[in-house]
Amino acid sequence: MKAIGADELTKVFGNVVAVDHISFEVDEGEIFGLVGLNGAGKTTTVLMLTTLLNPDSGTATVFGHNILKEKDSVRRSVGVVFEEQAVDIYLTGKQNLDFYARMYNLPKKVREERIADVLNTVGLAEHANVKVNDYSGGMLRRLEIARGMLTQPKVLFLDEPTIGVDVQTRRYLWDYLRRVNKESGMTIFLATSYLEEADYLCDRVAIIDEGKLIVTGRPKELKASIGKNLISLKLTTGLRADFIKLLQGLEYVERIEERDDLLEFSLKNGSIGIPEIVRLARGNGFTISSISSHKPSLNDVLLHYTGKKIEE
Amino acid sequence: MMVIETTEKAREKKPLIEWIPISSMWLREIIRFLNMKTRVISSFAEPFLFLTLLAIPFSRLMPPGSEGMMSQMFGSLSFFAFLAPGIVGIGLVSRGIMGGVTVIWDKEFGFLKEVMVAPVRRVSLMIGRSLGGMTIAIVQALVTIGVASLFGIWYGFQVHSAAGLGLALVFIILTFATFIGFGITLGALFEETEGFMSIVTLLQLPMFFLSGAFVPIGLLNGVPVLYQLQFINPLTYGIDGIRASLTGASPFFPLWVDLVVLLAFTLIFLILGARAFNRMQVS
Repeated sequence: MKAIGADELTKVFGNVVAVDHISFEVDEGEIFGLVGLNGAGKTTTVLMLTTLLNPDSGTATVFGHNILKEKDSVRRSVGVVFEEQAVDIYLTGKQNLDFYARMYNLPKKVREERIADVLNTVGLAEHANVKVNDYSGGMLRRLEIARGMLTQPKVLFLDEPTIGVDVQTRRYLWDYLRRVNKESGMTIFLATSYLEEADYLCDRVAIIDEGKLIVTGRPKELKASIGKNLISLKLTTGLRADFIKLLQGLEYVERIEERDDLLEFSLKNGSIGIPEIVRLARGNGFTISSISSHKPSLNDVLLHYTGKKIEE
Repeated sequence: MMVIETTEKAREKKPLIEWIPISSMWLREIIRFLNMKTRVISSFAEPFLFLTLLAIPFSRLMPPGSEGMMSQMFGSLSFFAFLAPGIVGIGLVSRGIMGGVTVIWDKEFGFLKEVMVAPVRRVSLMIGRSLGGMTIAIVQALVTIGVASLFGIWYGFQVHSAAGLGLALVFIILTFATFIGFGITLGALFEETEGFMSIVTLLQLPMFFLSGAFVPIGLLNGVPVLYQLQFINPLTYGIDGIRASLTGASPFFPLWVDLVVLLAFTLIFLILGARAFNRMQVS
């Protein structure tokens, strides 16, 4: 069964199209990443998929339930961890969870069992009775994830789950989410601007830019789609335009892009690298002041698909 | 296929009254109130200040020997006794509208998102928080009546009868329900406290002064617009009812009219509030 199906989902705020006719599908049990820069439309998409915001046009289903017509069924299927902190700092961690569970009309016994259970899994059992005011950033995030899972949702939405969290906690959260996904088969919808996170966690990612979906695929495939080796260099002597012309003549060079004072391109052939490029430049009267090469990351994928392009 | 559909329908079904969410919202409203000491102090100081700074000095305006004129004007009450129920009414309006501010706080705070994504009726959330506010409002009204009774030893105010106090409570509840409905409607429409507050200030002053809280309604007879405005102000009926039942003085309208009109206002504003709350989205 399809976990999420978005069909031409659109939301306009004033004269800004926050989400622009996006369509995608998320399979049951997968970790799906909606990846984009701040303001790309990720949060708006999450709010629409979780029934908190009505789309202006288009629609979506969550486990077969329409987000406009069957809000309650959708709400029963989802758990959400919002981008901004949403806890009551005057209550303890346990009280926060209990309050939330009450909103689902869960009887006391069930509430107690589940709260103990999720607090254990996020490693907050010892701090259950501490006021949330005294929690660290990482503990807060864990508490919110615990809350998201308290109702045993079929799909857990996470909006920038590790923002403002230290490296160690981030790793912990990632591994934890992976484990939950693997063990319980819970579908995870991750909205993030943190590409390393998407790369590490997601089975598939969709890149969103200015409200439009640009490309969807497995992180590995997306990275492979922009070449084997990325070169970025800086010229001191010679016109950049001439150098670009020179590169365009080579069959193993792809996707030449200008980024500030850098020139970037990718090499189709894994055996060709910096030495060949330097030799080529010298032979044609260009001087390179700096050059580097690296394997493509999701970051490069995002820049490639959303950034300025001069040559395909 | 039919079978699947019916089970789906059954799963959609929710209890008519969602006790756990309602009682939790009620409790939360009270805990939050008690947590903010300044709110506690100001809401109980307000009626006290009104009584000492307004009712006492103004009751001195009436020269000795003018009892006849006074009783004609204030329906056989001393000015203090006339004013005390009005102050109870004004406290109810402030509290009701405060209920709207808490909606905006919750929006800013992110709490609203958290509960609105739960499959609970929005109406239950609204009822819960309204009942929380109402509990506080009733306590505040009773404190006001208590303090007024204490000063009343010297300034001539006393609760007429236990039945009268009971009836006054009915009016207190209805008046508060009207204004929390009004507050929640506004709170659902506004994103920030600033916009909300400026509208509230604009509406609150005429509402207070054209309600019969300070000046008998009949006194404005012959003044165009102002006189008529009093009749569309829900607070007018609330205060008229509270005053008559507390003091035993004869009301401006028959009590049943006060009751029916106030009930109508209560229903209208609660429905408006529920609709606005229902439609509220998060952005």
